[in-house]
Amino acid sequence: MSQLPHTVRGVDHVAFPTFDPAGTVAFYRDVLGFPVVHSICAAGWGPEEHPDFIHFFFDIGNNDRLAFFYYFGYEPPQRGVKGDVYARFEDDIPDFFVKSRHLAIHVDSDTDLLEYRRRLDNSQWPVELQVQHETIESIYTHDPNGYFVEITRALRPVTPQEDLDANLTADALVDVVKGPDVSMAALLTRKAELIVERAADWEPAQR
Amino acid sequence: MTQLFMLDVPENTPIVAVADQDPHVTVDKVGPYFRIAADASIVIDRRATGCRHAVWYSSVAGLLRSRITQWDKDAMRIEPT
Repeated sequence: MSQLPHTVRGVDHVAFPTFDPAGTVAFYRDVLGFPVVHSICAAGWGPEEHPDFIHFFFDIGNNDRLAFFYYFGYEPPQRGVKGDVYARFEDDIPDFFVKSRHLAIHVDSDTDLLEYRRRLDNSQWPVELQVQHETIESIYTHDPNGYFVEITRALRPVTPQEDLDANLTADALVDVVKGPDVSMAALLTRKAELIVERAADWEPAQR
Repeated sequence: MTQLFMLDVPENTPIVAVADQDPHVTVDKVGPYFRIAADASIVIDRRATGCRHAVWYSSVAGLLRSRITQWDKDAMRIEPT
């Protein structure tokens, strides 16, 4: 387990390109109610044929920000039939992979989750799916850029033993992908070895 | 000996309870994990556990000298290797 000091403080911003700034502002600011908190209007410069661009930011809570780039005069690369405006895929690429990359925004309560559901359902971008996973409940939709967006709440706090389990999983995965048999069966075998080595002494170490 | 580990979290305890109903199965703890052990196969009926699919298909933490020969909506069967 890493003993390095852990001093980072969440997401400053995560940035995506958009070809539909009107839809993007409507979705995040007017429908979801995320304030616009920062923007940069920049002339293109540099060795590449860099277009002029607008970089604009939405507050997604906790002082974290979701940012977009709009490039004047740059047409979206038209490849593939599914995916979002940044990553397009042909029809033979399975949806589990296409939908794997997504943004999940946290809310604290059922009331908050249902309020965001209400806002989305009254818009052009209604909730496509509401799911209770093991320990979280989430709503999902696609934003005007095709980005897959989730809003989620925890059904219970994460327990300390789940942090231990996550670390054993990560170590087992790192070991297994270096070996000849990269499979779930190999991972569960390696993880059992790590449980026997490290989990028995875990509880006293926490006290 | 067949050995299956499950993390002690509220979602998993019904699965461990159903496994423990088999008189050939023993359950003890290794830190925060349940160790479910038997000389031969361990079979757990999913419907008896009342588990939703998301819990069911992510409940196994580790397998020692054992392999999964069935893990579907009906049951989980673990056999010694």
